[in-house]
Amino acid sequence: MIGPEQQPVRPRERVTAPEATTSRAEAREGPIDIDIDIGTVYVRSLVRSQLRLAVACAAGFAVLLLGFAASFVLMPDLGSLLVLGVPVSWLMLGFGGYPLVIGIAVIYVRAARRNEAGYLALSGSARRESDGDPT
Amino acid sequence: MNPVLGYIAIALVTAATALIGFFGLRFSRTTSDFYVASRTVKPWWNASAIGGEYLSAASFLGIAGLILLQGSDALWFPIGYTAGYLMLLLFVAAPLRRSGAYTIPDFTQARLESTAVRRITSILVIVIGWLYIVPQLQGAALTVRITTGLPAWIGAVAVAVIVGVVVAAGGMRSITFVQAFQFWLKLTAIAVPVVFMLLVISDVPSLDPMLAFPIELAPSTPDTYRTVSLLVALLLGTLGLPHVLVRFYTNPDGVAARNTTLIVLALLSVFYVFPTIIGLLGRALAPDLAEPAAADALVLLLPGRLIPGPLGDAMTALVIAGAFGAFLSTSTGLVVSLAGVISQEAFGGSVRGFRIAAALSIVVPLAVSLLASPGGLAGSVGLVFAFTASTLCPVLVLGIWWRGLTARGAVAGMVTGGSACGLAIVAGATIGPGSGVISSVLAQPAAWTVPLAAAVMVGVSLADYRHIPRGTDRFMRRLHVPERPTIPAP
Repeated sequence: MIGPEQQPVRPRERVTAPEATTSRAEAREGPIDIDIDIGTVYVRSLVRSQLRLAVACAAGFAVLLLGFAASFVLMPDLGSLLVLGVPVSWLMLGFGGYPLVIGIAVIYVRAARRNEAGYLALSGSARRESDGDPT
Repeated sequence: MNPVLGYIAIALVTAATALIGFFGLRFSRTTSDFYVASRTVKPWWNASAIGGEYLSAASFLGIAGLILLQGSDALWFPIGYTAGYLMLLLFVAAPLRRSGAYTIPDFTQARLESTAVRRITSILVIVIGWLYIVPQLQGAALTVRITTGLPAWIGAVAVAVIVGVVVAAGGMRSITFVQAFQFWLKLTAIAVPVVFMLLVISDVPSLDPMLAFPIELAPSTPDTYRTVSLLVALLLGTLGLPHVLVRFYTNPDGVAARNTTLIVLALLSVFYVFPTIIGLLGRALAPDLAEPAAADALVLLLPGRLIPGPLGDAMTALVIAGAFGAFLSTSTGLVVSLAGVISQEAFGGSVRGFRIAAALSIVVPLAVSLLASPGGLAGSVGLVFAFTASTLCPVLVLGIWWRGLTARGAVAGMVTGGSACGLAIVAGATIGPGSGVISSVLAQPAAWTVPLAAAVMVGVSLADYRHIPRGTDRFMRRLHVPERPTIPAP
């Protein structure tokens, strides 16, 4: 189906390369360029907020785990205190990590859903204003 | 041990697995069914299935054995195995489900618009799957040898044959039911004997606590590098396990994928309590098993030792059934996802191709497991996690969260991470544990190979920024934008 009348279309494709650079600059300066559609801006902000949330949760988990491990080194008495014939430090390490994991997971799931609800509200109102479909 | 118990338990688990598999077969008729169960599986079913698939020989036998052998360092394993799902929830679960891809290679190809990336990812998935099946078959060999007295290879061959037949016959739809059943089987098979053991231990002479839980093996004296590196491997390795990811495609949407993961975390947390208890009991009550060749059999032997009479026999049969369930379920899960990748890569994704690929997926690790000498189960699975964390984890995480990733960056990072990790493990095994720090750095490489792979991926992608795929913004939108609620607009 490639006929000679489609030849002039080709140079247009090259225009997409500079467009990619403007969108980079724009990501720093905010949506002033009319070329970038508002939907993409919203999506990038959603991705950023979800990533920030995930990294914060992961970092929080790492810190808690580190504190957990450090507590055994800093409080060696936990190793000589016996409960049911087993040192407390062994019991803590064996059974105490799971509540941390589940707690952080619950916090994350709620916050992630909130971010998404925020995005839906924002993109819904933008759609009503511009009458264009951002998705 | 009475070999009849072993025969009965293994026969029952096999029959149950096959029956459920064939019931599911009635539903699975189209190609899409074969691959991802048409995405109609509910979160609870799905979470049970993920748990059933994930709890392998390393979890069922390996953790207790390692606690007996190495002391409190081994207690980090179950935490790491569980927290891996936390990382999966944070960084991968919902976006990956929304990507709509069937397999990891499908995802990388769609994201990076490159068949070269697809090829490399496929090869990695196949290698990781094979490496992961090997310890399952070795666990089966150990179980059959200990419980029936038959030659060890029979166990490996039996599991391979059952898995091959079930997968080739049923595909993924029936597998979801089989796996969900397997989770509850494994939980029952380890929880009930533990409860009975805890009831009788006051009558059993135990070792002095200071000898059973010596201070040099206690949590207060950690080997910091090894512990950190192990946790990096376990936490990040879970993200890239091929048989785990394929399960997320069966969720109806991204929110369901997150809810499923949350349930998985709860199920795993409950399960891991029990092997940990057996490990601690073993230290106090069965110190004679604390040698590399016998430790992995602790879960199988302890109930019979502690609980007298027919009840003890019944409990022994139950743990054998659970262990066999673990080998079957993890191997079937791996074979399904490997067969999916191999058949799409080599046989055009047809149902017939899927069956041939299923056979290929199990025969190769069977050969390896028969030739290689078995190592500790938890340790060898840990190394597979390190390899996965150094290869597939960075490409998934960067692909989902960073617009700037390019095909060249992904290939460079995966090749660097894979070869660094592979060489380190081989070198570490060659020089042995004697050389102090160098041995640790080589034998437990994730702490440096994962950052290395990620850095190469980012660096090469930055240099290659002109080749950011054109569809990146569109694809990122698909990954992160929530499905619209199906409420009609006002």
